[in-house]
Amino acid sequence: MLKLWNERLRRHQLNQFKYLRLIFNDNFVLAFIVLIGALGFWYSNLLGTINGPIILGKPIVILLLFLAVQVGGIATLLEDPDSTFLLVKEKEFYKYFRAAKKYSVFVPIVTLMLVNFLLSAFASRAGGMKIIDIVVLAIGLIIYKLGFLNVNMMELYGQAKFGNTSMRLVSNLLLLISLIVSTYFFSWLMFIVGIIYYLYLNARTKTLETSGQLQWKYAIETENQRMFRIKRFYNLFTDVPGVNSKIKRRKWLDGLYNSIKPVNGNTYLYLFARGFVRNNEYIGLFLRLTIIQAIMLALIDSFYISLVVEMLFIYLVGFQLKPYFKEVMQNLMQRLYPISSKTKIKDFTKLSTFILLIQWIISALAVLYKFGFSINSVIIIVAGLAVLFFVNYFYMPRQLKKYLD
Amino acid sequence: MTLEVKELTGGYGQVSVLKKETFTVESGQVVGLIGLNGAGKSTTIKHIIGLLNPRGGQILIDGISLHDDVEKYRKKIAYVPEMPILYPELTLREHIDLTIMAYDLDRDKTWENANKLLKTFRLDNKLDWFPQNFSKGMKQKVMIVCAFMTDASLFIIDEPFTGLDPLAVNDLLNIVETKKKAGCSVLMSTHVLATVQNHADKFVLINHGQVRADGTLDQLKAKFNMQKDSNLDDIYLKMSNEDL
Repeated sequence: MLKLWNERLRRHQLNQFKYLRLIFNDNFVLAFIVLIGALGFWYSNLLGTINGPIILGKPIVILLLFLAVQVGGIATLLEDPDSTFLLVKEKEFYKYFRAAKKYSVFVPIVTLMLVNFLLSAFASRAGGMKIIDIVVLAIGLIIYKLGFLNVNMMELYGQAKFGNTSMRLVSNLLLLISLIVSTYFFSWLMFIVGIIYYLYLNARTKTLETSGQLQWKYAIETENQRMFRIKRFYNLFTDVPGVNSKIKRRKWLDGLYNSIKPVNGNTYLYLFARGFVRNNEYIGLFLRLTIIQAIMLALIDSFYISLVVEMLFIYLVGFQLKPYFKEVMQNLMQRLYPISSKTKIKDFTKLSTFILLIQWIISALAVLYKFGFSINSVIIIVAGLAVLFFVNYFYMPRQLKKYLD
Repeated sequence: MTLEVKELTGGYGQVSVLKKETFTVESGQVVGLIGLNGAGKSTTIKHIIGLLNPRGGQILIDGISLHDDVEKYRKKIAYVPEMPILYPELTLREHIDLTIMAYDLDRDKTWENANKLLKTFRLDNKLDWFPQNFSKGMKQKVMIVCAFMTDASLFIIDEPFTGLDPLAVNDLLNIVETKKKAGCSVLMSTHVLATVQNHADKFVLINHGQVRADGTLDQLKAKFNMQKDSNLDDIYLKMSNEDL
């Protein structure tokens, strides 16, 4: 079983590594740096405006720490066929999950350290907390989280319960109370609670080895969902096979494409427009990037940063639309249609032009809000339009050809 | 409509699965394509519909090949794949509309056909459903509706009977019969020999990427030296045993 785990872990890490390399090779690194820079700039500005402890300081710290503890769960790396092929090995899976738990501590520890580190400046300034208290709290939270991974493991066996109440609920309640008491009164409490919680759950988990009954369906579904979240994240930056996204009807948006006449020349436009609106993945991506862009443009004072944000985000939305074209092109039936590939690309470009125009208009409004009617506004807006033309009439047609057959 | 497959050689990548296949499907004929798993049935079909390029030989529909006129060639064919392939973002109604647009069909006439077919397959009240809500059999019926509502003259069906309920199999056979009477041709690959024996005019037996034999049931019996009362199953087993 341990051999199986190690083999899977190796494969999993290779996969992750492959995607991470793809991401960090991409132009997205640039956007990432700009984003981090802008956020850092905003954060330090914000800290500069705070002169003494404020009432909301501690509640914000509590909320952010509470959310940070929720990040990361047990990565079991179970696969669908396991419930058929490995059913007989059920008893031995305890060891497998122990190994999985050991591996899964990494993400939460790093997250908690990072969040605590970044938050410490705010906590000491706005919350009036001492550095030693913050450090003790951080250690307490990490120990608590290590204990909580046992809850994840017990859930796999359907035993994460105190009597009739869910262990997850009780744990979160305990966490919230300890967090509040530690921040306001006595920072060592989180530390003490964390240790007791950890020891107690570790002891309880041990009983699973003999008496546990693995909930295969739940365990595999949970792992699939976890994988899906990771892949969906990677999918923002690069193409990930096997990410099927949710489809919603959105009848109220039918008006958007009712004007597309049902004639032969519009076949693909008909298909692309509906797909884009109904597929959560693509419309979600467009909305996320457009909203982030508009907020950034409305907040950032620097002309140069705004210029980069305007151009980069329009390019990014265009860039991220490509996988949708690829997805449709992989459908076998459409390859039989008596329609030329040139028309397919032309119709897709129509859709992307429309989408980017909407984004461009929204970003232009944000720029006008920040810079008013000035020469700076005009430069930024025109630069955005230039990128839009570049993407649709130069970049897209060349890139899309790759996906045709 | 006649389909001529002449000396077809081809397959995926570098490996030639098909070796010099030759057979024809005449107007108003229903032809069964028969062979073991991996014999080359689906590969043959993929070449005919133009998803794979032949490495040698020719495929002609009414005398024209895919190279001569892509659009004309494709409009003559309607294809029902083995595994249903649908657009996850389109409703059933929109699938029909899209097919009408793609093949430039007459809107009212095709919808009339479609409605009849939808009713036959009990899909007429599911026009606003998405593929994710359909079962495998229902998806297959959607593919059948989209193929048979068109005015194609050659219908190619890959494994039509697996996954369909007996009623739907019967309905499909009736539709095939109607198309046949209208002068269309049907090429279907299948493992359900008892059904195809009663409904096909001709059989093409494929083994190791080659046409082992083709003809009517009586012609096949003669070729394999079988008794008068033997059926397609016996011939099939005999062909399979030749390898041993």
